[in-house]
Amino acid sequence: MSSFAYFARKIIGLLITVFLVLSFNFYLFRILPGNPFTLLFRGSGLSAEAMHNLNVQFGLDKPIWYQYIVYLKNTAAGNLGISYQTRAPVADLVSFALVNTLILLSAASVVSIVAGILIGVVAAWKRGSKLDVSASALMLVLYSMPTFWLGLILLFAGVIYLHLPVSGMTSITGDTGAFSQLIDLLGHMILPLTTLVLGLTGQYVLVMKSALLDVFTEDYMVTARAKGISNKRLLWKHGFRNAVLPMMTLVSLNLGLSIGGAIQTETIFSWPGMGLLIYHAILARDYPVLQGAFLVVTIAVIFANFMADLLFPLLDPRVTSR
Amino acid sequence: MSVTIVLLCLIAGSPFVSPVRAQGPVTFTVGWTGSTLDTVNPAAFTDSDGASKIIVNVIYDPLVRVNINGTTTPDLAATWTYKNSTIVDFNLVHNATWHDGQPFTANDVVFTIHLLLTHPEISYLDEFVGTIQSVNALDNYTVEIQTSKPDASLLTYDLVNIPILPEHIWVNVANYTSYTGAPVGTGPFKFVKFGGPGTYVVLTANDNYFYGRPHIDQLVFQYFSSSNAMALALQSGQIDYAGPTFPNAILSTLSSQGNIQLISRLGPEYYYFCFNGYAQGYGNPALRNKNVRIALSHAIDSNELAQVVWGGFAKPQNTDIPLALGNWVNPNVQQYDFNLTTAANMLDAAGYKVGSDGVRVGPDGTRLALKIEVPSDYSEEYRAAQEIAGWWKQIGVAATPQITDTDTMAGESVNWKFDTYIWVWSTPAGGDPNLFISVFQSSQAAPAPNPGFSDSGYQNPVYDQLYNQQHQETNVTKRQAIVWQMQQILHDDEPYYPVYDPYLVQAIRSDMFTGVPAGLLPPVFIGSFYTLLEGVRPVSGVTQSSQTTPQTTSQTTEAAAAISTEGLLAIVVVIVAAVVVIAVLVTRRRPSKKGQ
Repeated sequence: MSSFAYFARKIIGLLITVFLVLSFNFYLFRILPGNPFTLLFRGSGLSAEAMHNLNVQFGLDKPIWYQYIVYLKNTAAGNLGISYQTRAPVADLVSFALVNTLILLSAASVVSIVAGILIGVVAAWKRGSKLDVSASALMLVLYSMPTFWLGLILLFAGVIYLHLPVSGMTSITGDTGAFSQLIDLLGHMILPLTTLVLGLTGQYVLVMKSALLDVFTEDYMVTARAKGISNKRLLWKHGFRNAVLPMMTLVSLNLGLSIGGAIQTETIFSWPGMGLLIYHAILARDYPVLQGAFLVVTIAVIFANFMADLLFPLLDPRVTSR
Repeated sequence: MSVTIVLLCLIAGSPFVSPVRAQGPVTFTVGWTGSTLDTVNPAAFTDSDGASKIIVNVIYDPLVRVNINGTTTPDLAATWTYKNSTIVDFNLVHNATWHDGQPFTANDVVFTIHLLLTHPEISYLDEFVGTIQSVNALDNYTVEIQTSKPDASLLTYDLVNIPILPEHIWVNVANYTSYTGAPVGTGPFKFVKFGGPGTYVVLTANDNYFYGRPHIDQLVFQYFSSSNAMALALQSGQIDYAGPTFPNAILSTLSSQGNIQLISRLGPEYYYFCFNGYAQGYGNPALRNKNVRIALSHAIDSNELAQVVWGGFAKPQNTDIPLALGNWVNPNVQQYDFNLTTAANMLDAAGYKVGSDGVRVGPDGTRLALKIEVPSDYSEEYRAAQEIAGWWKQIGVAATPQITDTDTMAGESVNWKFDTYIWVWSTPAGGDPNLFISVFQSSQAAPAPNPGFSDSGYQNPVYDQLYNQQHQETNVTKRQAIVWQMQQILHDDEPYYPVYDPYLVQAIRSDMFTGVPAGLLPPVFIGSFYTLLEGVRPVSGVTQSSQTTPQTTSQTTEAAAAISTEGLLAIVVVIVAAVVVIAVLVTRRRPSKKGQ
């Protein structure tokens, strides 16, 4: 089958998946008990008439199938609706949060992947040595620590001893020069980044190590060594290149999911990202925001898997596109 | 190593800026947690924008304000007179200007109120139109408001909550609820910057404020999603004030620090225990009997609950009006005393005898087995529910405490499908008791699904009549007398057991700022914030820049570095060292074991 047809089939499969997930999300939010305006109404002095007006304004008084059609039509046109809570367009809210999350999580992903690979490779190469045992143990410990607790400890240490800023993404006033803004952002990012990296690296280390150990048992490794290839080449060109495939799977999965934000880290450091957005929207039953956010996460996960699918044949010629 | 040197040069060469520490202008930074900072457009408010309302309240002015004691004070309206019971003339201040320089006139008031009268989609503000029927400008500085019937809370509840908007700007706005232009008001602070939902707002003092310029030059309102982070920020000096309240666990850490002063005030809200006594409801039928309710009330100890749940940071209530409302509370009404014997005897007298399983059964076969629900938003009250269940068990009432998702519970309330629950009533600004007494009207209780506010199902024509009377009584003393009488009636029938009014504990860096006004309400709250801002000033002799570490370069005089270069140097060295170590380990040639 030509690679174009393969490609096209993949894209169509993607779109169908997105559609199914959207529909399922829509249904899921509607069957939850309670209505966002009941909550507003009960919690304070919103009159029955105002509640009715709100329902009409947001189209909640129409039958479900009608709301569904309207939802599909709007989403296809890029109109993600208006937040119940803030009356701002959902697309604006989600894109604001998404950018913030991407900044933090892509940096965290890159650092933890690189660190995970390096440490995993070293641990596999020196399996059984004190270095390996201590590194693996440390990674496991860090991986199992509750993110919230780790973040609080780092926050405390960072603020008291290093005078780092307590929260947020940027300083409130200050130089508007691009470079000092960058430094400012980096300073705000150090603590949440460290929290995330310490938590994420563990899984990469473990997967890398076990994949590499697996590869070491292969015959071609013995052959290569017998041919006199140096240790460094053996390790990286022969061992690592073959062990990277399971890592790729893990990386693509994580990258896709990380678009959903790191809710615990974002809460502690008041980082205005997707995690916080989703959390507040859940508390307020803000369906449009939730639908918009979930749409983005869905697309991100599907896209990340798709990219992994595309990259696999490049990494491993044995995987041919059918 | 060259990398390190380059990095160090870069860091030393540009200041690291953290929340404002200006040398010249005085900045007051307020930290806030809980309800988020969503918008600065008052037309877009929903009920959840707690922080946004506080800020908007100092950008815009209403006609009248409520001060820190809950008293109505003049604002854009300097004086007012009642022409008759439904028509009020307001004489506006002459020298107020909008932040863009345009003069404020009566047309702005007329425009604002007309806007709310004709646009129900501005749902939050629409509530405060209340009974207002028409508004006219009699001349440039006089406005006449007519209500459909005499309304005692026109000033104290409605007008205090309506920010006056500039006609010359809003007349050109197409969609009011999604307007994102910079807010222009007449208030003591001018809008500078909004960082986006859940971040911060920067305001600057209005030099031309008609009641006098505040003592601080810049106001920053910063949102924290975690109380711990906010406490740290206060301790390290990155914020000067923190609110709305701190959880108990953090208070001891804060109070032990010498330069932090805790400010503990009652919030205009109270926690109550509701008995579902609605005749057409689905709650336990025993609760429809007043004597059962009073008996059960004798078996609740609100003093103990305040200790157990709030560590003493809550004041037990005797009536159904929050203690923060001052003179509206009838001081002669006393809570039913905690006495399990009295409770048991009353239940016996009502015909509920203890059955073989220890649970009382009524003559009609009704078992006194009840559910006590607690909304997930107030999950700390679960502790209270457990205590109550424990007491009730001793008098033969089987109670099951349960935390229910708040939204689900709202649905149950509207459909009368609950026995008892603990919940909260709160009002946006102190000073008017109307909201709290309105929920007991017969008209607020209808068969499911109930569009009204009543959750007790209380129906008493005498009470209804008194409610209407006080709602139209514009003489405060007479109105107060009626409201006191209503509280007595409620006590006699006990549709609720009023539990407590929690203290909102806020904190200020007392070494940096002073001038927090004494009063009933918390300093940072919707109505009272402006009172704080008018009075707060820096402690003399302390400049803000002395609190931060000095810069190593003379790049700018606007901001001082808050990150110590030693700290950053340490981080960089550690990272570089780690990278170097790992690189060496990996590339080192050794004929060592290969992990087979």
